Amino acid sequence: MSAARSTLAGAVVATLRRDLLIAYKRKNDLFNPFMFFVLVATLFPIGISPEPEALGEISAGVLWISALLASLLAMDNLFRADFEDGSLELLMLSPHPLYFLVLAKNIAHWLVSGLPIVLVSPLIAYMLNFPEGAYSTLVLTLLLGTPVLSLLGSIGVALTVGLGSRGLILAVITLPMSVPVLIAGTLTVSQTLEGASLSGYLAIMGAMLVAALTLAPLASAAALRISVN
Amino acid sequence: MDWTWFHKWGSPKWFYELSGKWLPWLVGAMVTCLLIGVTWALLFVPQDYQQGLTNRIFYVHVPVASISLAFFPLMAMAGTIFLVWRMKLADVVVKVAAPLGAWFTALALASGSIWGVDTWGTWWVWDGRLTSLLLQFFLLLGVVSLRTALEDSEGAARACALLSIVGCINVVVIKYSVDWWNTLHQASTNFTLATDQANGPEIWVPLIFMIVAVYLFFAISLILSTRNEILQREKRAQWVMDLVAKS
Repeated sequence: MSAARSTLAGAVVATLRRDLLIAYKRKNDLFNPFMFFVLVATLFPIGISPEPEALGEISAGVLWISALLASLLAMDNLFRADFEDGSLELLMLSPHPLYFLVLAKNIAHWLVSGLPIVLVSPLIAYMLNFPEGAYSTLVLTLLLGTPVLSLLGSIGVALTVGLGSRGLILAVITLPMSVPVLIAGTLTVSQTLEGASLSGYLAIMGAMLVAALTLAPLASAAALRISVN
Repeated sequence: MDWTWFHKWGSPKWFYELSGKWLPWLVGAMVTCLLIGVTWALLFVPQDYQQGLTNRIFYVHVPVASISLAFFPLMAMAGTIFLVWRMKLADVVVKVAAPLGAWFTALALASGSIWGVDTWGTWWVWDGRLTSLLLQFFLLLGVVSLRTALEDSEGAARACALLSIVGCINVVVIKYSVDWWNTLHQASTNFTLATDQANGPEIWVPLIFMIVAVYLFFAISLILSTRNEILQREKRAQWVMDLVAKS
């Protein structure tokens, strides 16, 4: 091991690079959450109403719920493969605090599964007749909110990584916990449309992100130590 | 400081014997409070001038709803004790409190619905309080299903303790965010209970009896299910075998 990698920053960068590289090599993981997001969003006009007005009213909620479900679906990739091939155990044996390594894995995971959703959201929003004048708010809230969803989800994944057949348990644990993010995201968008000042709402979402960044990897790391023996 | 009192709690046998001595007193106190509370609330409390007899469900709904909010703090506390001191009894409490909490939460939601259908004209509204209680119900079911899914008992115990702590923090965040959402969207509907502030002790004294009765009922259910779980876990221990042989 080179000297640079034995420092904490080196270990974080190495974890980040490794996960990004794996995602790049396995292009399925890269595209599936993204595809899922687009597909779920497509179901709403078909299931509810193709009327532009009706769609415009629910579009913010549709985008947020699709993002929530896509992030949930993508969570499975976070620790599972590493758990199965044993590299997760090696990661936990490293002398560096697990907190930062889990955080690095979370960041890599969000860059692969969350960021593409944020980037494609204006396009889907347009197709759903999303009200003009709130596009930037939508992207901003998704940018602040989807990492929180990933961080919260990683606690659930870490708790259930040892399970053979997980089924719906991850959803049952994670979805109720995601509600505050969903509320903050959709409220911010609807308040923008009513002409309210944005800073307060974005500050609350930012606070959620900071709280999740500080606390969630701690809980995920503790959960990993429980799950991986 | 002498810590023997604390270490005693680590012994399931000690707790089993102690709680056996408590139970008759708790049951007696509960039955007394329940009889006084129910009789007073159903027969002697003056009718509400708007809601009529329906208002009497208040005396069931408020105690049940208030106790259902205590479950996550209780489980988080017991979970912390288990994670820090590895006290088996604390894990038993985390385990039995989760389904019990789900029952109490369901009861609070159901009694609220029955009350709501007469006063609000609907079984359900997406009001902040209702929604956060519903989400708490789901979170409790999540803890229960995590316990069932992880068969390994030591790992399941620690995972559920951790999830209880995370859930406890989350319930608070959910509560505030849902209130925030609700107050912005449904400010026109006023579901406050503040009207009974103006009412005298003939309204709230029976409520106190009911609250005490329901809290005691909660304590008794928790102790009974804890004792049951202790017996199951310690079934190979000599003292349990002696107990079975005696009965």
